[in-house]
Amino acid sequence: MADKPQSEHEAGEFHPRGTVAILVMFVLAIIILWASVYVILLSRGVTV
Amino acid sequence: MSEPGASKETLHIDPYEKNWMRISIVLLIVFAAAVTIAGFALGFQVPSPEERVDPNNLSGPWLSPGLRELSPGVYEAYIIGDAATWQFDPRDIEVPVGSTVTFYVTSRDIQHGFKLQDTNINMQILPGQVSKLTYTFDQVGEYPYICTEYCGTGHAFMFGSLTVVEK
Amino acid sequence: MATREYGSDRLATYPVTKTDKRFIGAHILVAVIALSIGTLFGPLQAFELAGIDLYPYLEPVFKSYYQGLTIHGVLNALVWTTFFITGFFTLTIIIGFKRGLRYPKLNRVGFWTMVVGLVMAAVPILLDEASVLYTFYPPLQANWAFYTGLTLVVVGSWIEGYGFFFTYRAWRKDNPSTRTPFIAFGSLLTMAMWQIATLGIAVEILTMLLPWSLGIIEGTDPQLARTYFWFTGHPLVYFWLLPAYVSWYGMLPRQAGGKLFSDSLARLAFWLFLLLSVPLGFHHQFVDPGVPAGWKYLHAVLTYSVFFPSMLTAFTVIASLERAARNRGGKGLIGWVRALPWDNGSVTAQLLAGILFMFGGLGGLINASYNVNLVVHNTTWVPGHFHLTVATATTLSFMGISYWLVPWITGKPLWKPRLAVIQAWTWFIGMLIFSNAMHVLGLLGAPRRTPLGVAPYVPEEWTGHLLRVGLGGAILFVSAVMYVWIVARTAWRKDRLGSGEEIEVPVAESIQDPQLTPRWLDRWVPWLIGTVVLILIAYGPQLIDQIANIDLGSGQAPAIRPW
Repeated sequence: MADKPQSEHEAGEFHPRGTVAILVMFVLAIIILWASVYVILLSRGVTV
Repeated sequence: MSEPGASKETLHIDPYEKNWMRISIVLLIVFAAAVTIAGFALGFQVPSPEERVDPNNLSGPWLSPGLRELSPGVYEAYIIGDAATWQFDPRDIEVPVGSTVTFYVTSRDIQHGFKLQDTNINMQILPGQVSKLTYTFDQVGEYPYICTEYCGTGHAFMFGSLTVVEK
Repeated sequence: MATREYGSDRLATYPVTKTDKRFIGAHILVAVIALSIGTLFGPLQAFELAGIDLYPYLEPVFKSYYQGLTIHGVLNALVWTTFFITGFFTLTIIIGFKRGLRYPKLNRVGFWTMVVGLVMAAVPILLDEASVLYTFYPPLQANWAFYTGLTLVVVGSWIEGYGFFFTYRAWRKDNPSTRTPFIAFGSLLTMAMWQIATLGIAVEILTMLLPWSLGIIEGTDPQLARTYFWFTGHPLVYFWLLPAYVSWYGMLPRQAGGKLFSDSLARLAFWLFLLLSVPLGFHHQFVDPGVPAGWKYLHAVLTYSVFFPSMLTAFTVIASLERAARNRGGKGLIGWVRALPWDNGSVTAQLLAGILFMFGGLGGLINASYNVNLVVHNTTWVPGHFHLTVATATTLSFMGISYWLVPWITGKPLWKPRLAVIQAWTWFIGMLIFSNAMHVLGLLGAPRRTPLGVAPYVPEEWTGHLLRVGLGGAILFVSAVMYVWIVARTAWRKDRLGSGEEIEVPVAESIQDPQLTPRWLDRWVPWLIGTVVLILIAYGPQLIDQIANIDLGSGQAPAIRPW
């Protein structure tokens, strides 16, 4: 997609690839950090 | 609403944004599944209503708070939080390793917190209500239990200690 | 896709009257004064945690860490926010609808009611008669004037909201089929959500806390009080967040030289917040003794659903910025970020606010995860989290907004614009250090709302993190001073903006004509019905149960004033 023009004009289509890249990193961060706390929960033992 | 010949109303969603919406929903479903399994299948549960009591007139087991053994290795601990003295009663508990302890905690006066460090016992303590959770101590060591809700001047000094000893 | 030139009249911004500008300015003034005092106490708390207790030097004026914490919480989380929001919305309503308020006197009644309420609540707080923190959980009991004052602040905000609704109705009569201008729409929706949300604390105060503090009823039911409080307490955070979103969606794209990526999805996100902000307050009560686990679980699931409109927001806002940056010449998959106008303090503040907010939202997802909450409840993780949200997403955005708003109100150029950029970065860095340390400490077991500098159970392991809390607090304090100084110097400077230099209120166009956004995204009744129904389902049975089983046996003196 390197040759696809990224600048917008009214008749063109802009697709936010950079946004997707940033949000993919964000989702990875969410997964890693959420899972870390979930693992802490599991490691601290059941409560019933 | 639209005049003839005008563009049609559309909820136009960029295909990337549509995929993002799908990813978000899948993520939330996966997390929800993990939480549900841990909670309802594995036993990582939160407190539920246990009993209403009269904080001005605590009776029964509350008259002698502390540890009582129900059967070998199975205990109950009745603990009272108190803002008049900023103490938990009892302040010290000792159990042999491998014991299962059910904690019943209430307050004589205002809100307190009860957090048993290095375990998942973490409860809001309200006068008039009994907070209950259970824990099995598989490791020897010292487990402080601290007050985690603002309860006045002495709040930072309100803590106790549960010691797990070798059998 | 070709659109008609719908935006060609955008630059003919509505000429807001001097009177209205002064009215908006009055809100901002109160807000900034509140923040100035409230943020003074931040470092006191942070330094105490790091082992430096400055409170002994402040007696006899300020008695304790807890009085300080109450002042910090009330002034920052309740006063700075509410006044800035209602002031900012006064502007978005007028500019959005291109007309004055329908009943200006009504809005003024609302404003002065808030001011009277503020003073009424401030007196007992300063006299150490209300050191109950901003959550004022009974059976802690404050002076009756504290509760009355807070009530008046809330009622005043309702009244300003009614003024906005009447203005909308008048505009709608003249514009029966035009889409509500976005910045006005977002503001109206926030105030509608707020009106519904505040019913909880209104009932808590009027039926429980006020009569009890006046001695009319002799006790209280702490569980029911918590349920009422958190009915409001959760949507409260959206009251804080949505105004920042109004700017991020409706103004920031223009400030970055671009447009709003999707008008429809921006509106959808806001409608989802109306629908989903209230019926999930039990996620603040996961470890309460009096609420059944099943209801807690339902609220956890609903809380996951309200994460969705924020995920939408992340995409739409970042996409708008990406488009703007690429049009400025930005290149690369991510490198375009550098092409955003980082030399603009208002933009930088909001961009940095958005970055930190991503971590705040992530933390919120963890907090909301039912049993995972057992790991973090009442630990320092929680204030670590909300300093990323209300104290950054909201506060740093409001600071950024101030950097064009105050020049616009006063007609004076921003004082030292480069310093504004530095101020935003120092807030970002200070908050990164402070908040990260608080999150880590929370996972290590450190309790919140506790002067850890004196707690006997603090292990060696926590010391390094506590020092970082102090460091972060110090940097934040410097940043806060910078902000107040810049705003004050701007307002007080003698030179004015010349003609042709006046600040234009940044209002973003959207790529697609809003008139093409489907009608169901501009109709109130269905969404309001859905909102009420969902609240009845999520709260009805438990409220009925808790009210029917109310027990006023708690809250007998003298335990209720333990400070």
